[in-house]
Parts: sequence; structure tokens; C-alpha cells
Amino acid sequence: MSGGADASVLDELPGEVMIWVLIVSELLVFGAGLAAFLAVRLSDPAGFAEAQDHLHRTGAALNTIVLISSGYLAARALQWRVAGRRVAARGALLVAAALGVVFLIIKGAEYADKAGQGITYETHPFFTFYYLLTGFHAAHVVAGIAILLLVAWRDAPRNIETGAAFWHMVDLVWVLLFPVIYLLA
Amino acid sequence: MTDMTPNTLSRAWLALIALSSGSAVIAELTGSGIDRRLVGVLIVGLALMKARVILSAYLGLSKAPTWRRGFNLSLALFCLLLLGLYLASGLTA
Repeated sequence: MSGGADASVLDELPGEVMIWVLIVSELLVFGAGLAAFLAVRLSDPAGFAEAQDHLHRTGAALNTIVLISSGYLAARALQWRVAGRRVAARGALLVAAALGVVFLIIKGAEYADKAGQGITYETHPFFTFYYLLTGFHAAHVVAGIAILLLVAWRDAPRNIETGAAFWHMVDLVWVLLFPVIYLLA
Repeated sequence: MTDMTPNTLSRAWLALIALSSGSAVIAELTGSGIDRRLVGVLIVGLALMKARVILSAYLGLSKAPTWRRGFNLSLALFCLLLLGLYLASGLTA
């Protein structure tokens, strides 16, 4: 009986169970990283604040808009595919992936600017966490772009649902990472 | 995730844009004499709201209330942890 009850709760989850296992795993990893960042910050809040002033808040805020807009298109793509509008769905997925590329370009410009200032991951513990967390997130964006392109090609609704869920996870991590790294002064 | 209406998704997207803009504006208030603790509370609060919108509308947990409650509670506790660590830095500074 309890097995049946467990199954009904799992059945409530939208999409594949395994994508939710991945989402929770990623949230735990990034969550631990952000908590560690703020814990280490306790040892040198002034140094962390000074280091944070070197970041481009405007570029990062723009990247937030880019990612949440991309997530919106991925979600709409699933709706269009279910409604039988395959061309619209594929177009939305391609634009969502293109916005992912825009995110990486802005992020790359930010990294190039830091490099130009001679800032590396060894400059200050702030930048160790900054490069680790934003770099790991950027790697997920690269993976997400590949997945969006893959499901645009193999566009079964179940594929799009899983690919979009991965992309929303990338989005979700960013809306937690952005304020902690860039805004909490 | 297929049960969202276009209007629901569009409202969620607009809400995320508004919340993100709000975060950026509030962050600019840090150097304007407003208590940084209040700014921190607002920034973390807005981040939590954004995460809830993504889970509910984009990831479709609005149709899975049990899971939505679980995720929301976990995220709220996590944000409290982040806020506590942030505010504690004021004690050590």
C-alpha cells in the first residue's frame, strides 16, 4: 500500500523523474558552493566587497534577462510542439539556444575584462569562488545549448520536455547565483 | 510541464523580468545610505520569489502541489541560511 502511495506522489511530478533527480543534485551542488562562498566571506567581508566592485553588475543583470527569456521560449516550445506546431516549436528552441550563446558572449566579455585587469582565480578568495561557480554554471549553459539543439532536431514532446527542464534548471541556478555573487555587497 | 497556458507562462516571464529589475535597482541602493541589512533581505527575498516562479510556471510544479510545497520550503530554508551568513558578516566586520 505504501508503495502505491509513493508511486502516486512521484507520478505528480511533471516530466521524467530522473530529470528531477538531476535538478535536485545540481541545486545541492550550487547551493553548497554559495553557502561556502558566504561562509568564507565572513573571514574578510571588506576584501570580498572590494573584489565584488570589479564585477559588471549591469552585464550580469542583462544576462539574467537573457536567460529567463530563453527559458520562456523553451517552455513555449513544448506547448507549441504538443499543439502540433512543430516549426514554431523548433524555432523557439533555436532562439532559446541562441540566447544561451548571447549569455556566454556576455560572460566571456566579463572574463576577458577580468583578465585584462590581471584578475585571476588566485587574486582573492572571492575570485576563486567567482570563477568556480560562474564557470561551472557557464559549463551547464554550454551543455544546455547542446541539449536544446538536440531536442530541436529530435523533437518528440517528451524530449523537448526533458531538454527544457534541464534549461530551466540552469535558469534556476542563475537566479540564485547572481544575487549572491554580484549583488550582496 | 505541458499544462501551462500561454498566458500563465507570459505572466511568469513578465514577473521574472520585474523581479530581476527590482533586484538590480535595490542593489544600487547599497551605497546610498540605506541599511545594507535591509538591502540584503530584499535581494535574497526577490531571489527566492524568482526561484519559486521558475519552479511553479516554467518547471510545472504548479500542477504538483506537494512537490511545490517541498521545493518552496527547502528553498526558503536555504535562502534563510544565505541571509544568515550574509548578515553575520556585519558582526565580524
